[in-house]
Amino acid sequence: MVNDAAERPIRSGSGLRWREGLSRLAPFLGLIAIFVLFAAIGPESFRSARNLETIARQTAIVGMAALGMTLVILTGGIDLAVGSVVALGTVVIAIVLRRADAANLHWMAAAAAGAALAACAGCGWLSGWLITRLRVVPFIVTLGMMLVVRGAAKGLSHEQKIDAPETWLNDLLASLAADQRWMLVPPGVWLLLVLAVGMTLVLSYSRLGRHALAVGSNEQTARLCGVPVNRVKMWVYAMGGFFGGLAGVLQFSRLTVGDPTVAVGLELDVIAAVVIGGGSLAGGEGSIKGSLVGALIMSVIRSGCSQMGLSNWVQEIITGMIIITAVALDRFRHR
Amino acid sequence: MAMQAASPDQELRMNAAKLWHGWAVGCVIGMALGIGGCRPAPESAPGQPDRSSGRRVIGVIPKGATHVFWKSIHAGALKAAQEEGVEILWKAGLKEDDRESQIKVVEDLVNRNVSGLVLAPLDDAALRPPVLQAVGQGIPVVIIDSDLKTDKYVSFVATDNYEGGRKGGHHLARLLNGKGRAVMLRYAEGSASTMSREQGFLDAMTNYPGIALVSTNRYGGATTEDAYKASENMLAPFRKPDGGLDLDGIFCVNESTTFGMLRALQDAGWAGKVLFVGFDSSDMLNRALRNREMHGLVLQDPMAMGYQGVKKLMAHLRGEPVEKRVDTGSQVATPDNMNEPEIRRLLEPDYRTWLKEE
Repeated sequence: MVNDAAERPIRSGSGLRWREGLSRLAPFLGLIAIFVLFAAIGPESFRSARNLETIARQTAIVGMAALGMTLVILTGGIDLAVGSVVALGTVVIAIVLRRADAANLHWMAAAAAGAALAACAGCGWLSGWLITRLRVVPFIVTLGMMLVVRGAAKGLSHEQKIDAPETWLNDLLASLAADQRWMLVPPGVWLLLVLAVGMTLVLSYSRLGRHALAVGSNEQTARLCGVPVNRVKMWVYAMGGFFGGLAGVLQFSRLTVGDPTVAVGLELDVIAAVVIGGGSLAGGEGSIKGSLVGALIMSVIRSGCSQMGLSNWVQEIITGMIIITAVALDRFRHR
Repeated sequence: MAMQAASPDQELRMNAAKLWHGWAVGCVIGMALGIGGCRPAPESAPGQPDRSSGRRVIGVIPKGATHVFWKSIHAGALKAAQEEGVEILWKAGLKEDDRESQIKVVEDLVNRNVSGLVLAPLDDAALRPPVLQAVGQGIPVVIIDSDLKTDKYVSFVATDNYEGGRKGGHHLARLLNGKGRAVMLRYAEGSASTMSREQGFLDAMTNYPGIALVSTNRYGGATTEDAYKASENMLAPFRKPDGGLDLDGIFCVNESTTFGMLRALQDAGWAGKVLFVGFDSSDMLNRALRNREMHGLVLQDPMAMGYQGVKKLMAHLRGEPVEKRVDTGSQVATPDNMNEPEIRRLLEPDYRTWLKEE
């Protein structure tokens, strides 16, 4: 890498800036290209306002989990447990709501969401603790945690879905009624956008964000510079779990039941979103807005294929090829 | 990387510029898409014929795509669609048996403004919000195969599972001549369709005081492998000192438990020596029936489910009254009647001609 850089011909400043700008915009351009493509060849209903709202709602869960995953991948780690964490979140909410009496259901819903977030953040923290204490690579630890958490969710729910009473949680991602149109998108999507801006600020300005980037860029150097690497990692995985819990709250809102078998394989969607958005599994690279765009790209493909009535196998092949193309283009830009 | 090159102050300013730039671009694009999308024109009313083909489009959403059961439903739906002159949009969730995937498909087809939906819900509660949303937008929904906790649908078209279980019970009792020791292997807790079959079987058995039900509380579990182990454990206490089986009759409530039980009987050398009635069909079960290792299979009619689902929906769209519950019936296949055309059609559904496979 170092030699490469030395041999590279010197470019004019403006050329570099142009190249960098293009590089940052690439996921956006990809999203627009795919959207325009489906708008052109798909049915008219694809670009209706209602469908755009649906795409936003369907992106919210993966997007929420991607906020945490971006941070994790930025440090050069990975969190394979996030799908299981989402399932655990829905189960915890349903269990708490079931115990609530009808009188204070309003508050109990908040308590249930809080309990789910605590449980999920705890799972993330445990992953981080195991990674730093046992010195086992994140891939293996979180692979194990994926099974542990999935098992815990199934055990807690006695291996069946749990029905829960209706609360405001169910409206977080519900399609907007006619008199709520002024909100444009449901509250859950707004929550995602606000937190995304927040996380971008955290990554750029907070000590944790800068340290996470330093750890991902070069862990040894960061350690020598006095960055508390282990503490940073534990925080990062705990936050990954926390955002997994928020994704679980949103997932519960859509299902209205606690489902221990939901979100199997969700972690791969989340990782794909981060990677399509310019994240590097080697660490040190990735951005919140890139990850959100990555998540949107996958939703748009899914929605477009669905509306055109393409078979699932076609859709899976297309999505797979787009992931590989996106990452290949990204690497090409870096040469 | 770039971090090391720039001083912290510079770095901060650069970052702020980048940040602002990125989000600004994002907002502009978001607004452009939003405005583009908010044009009132494309929102046509539901039920409009498809512009490309000029025909109405019906969405049919199964629980999965790869099982023969769902392929048969697809075939039935295509048959009805051909008769009615409508187009079928057949779409399963990307992940089979995943509630979230199925919810997404329902939402997508609602946005697509299909004339109506035929849905086999994976969950009686989780699919309720998207179905209510569809109904709220004037898209009628027919439920097939499994029930949904609402009454906003047009019709519920499915096997009467309780009746199927009863038929299986009476068939086994007749084979046993009304006396002997029998067991039943259950499927899974919380599965509504198989629980009604279990209840139907137990209720039928109350008519035969000579038959002792010696074990009815064991569950086979979701997969064939689980059912196989559960069957072995269930049969173990009934092994006689001479290696025989101290049982006269066995009933299983779905394909996976039936197949698991069959494998366990075959491994222990008991297959064919005990009267065995199961539920649903597959190539392996049909062969066992032919070899008289099994003595009855209660068969549902998935093709009728797909066919009736689309038919009832079209009748509703034409404004005709539709009954709220349609039973697609069940039949008992035996080694003796399995070559009759009516039973053969259920044992080996002819879905391939309709789906143009092969």
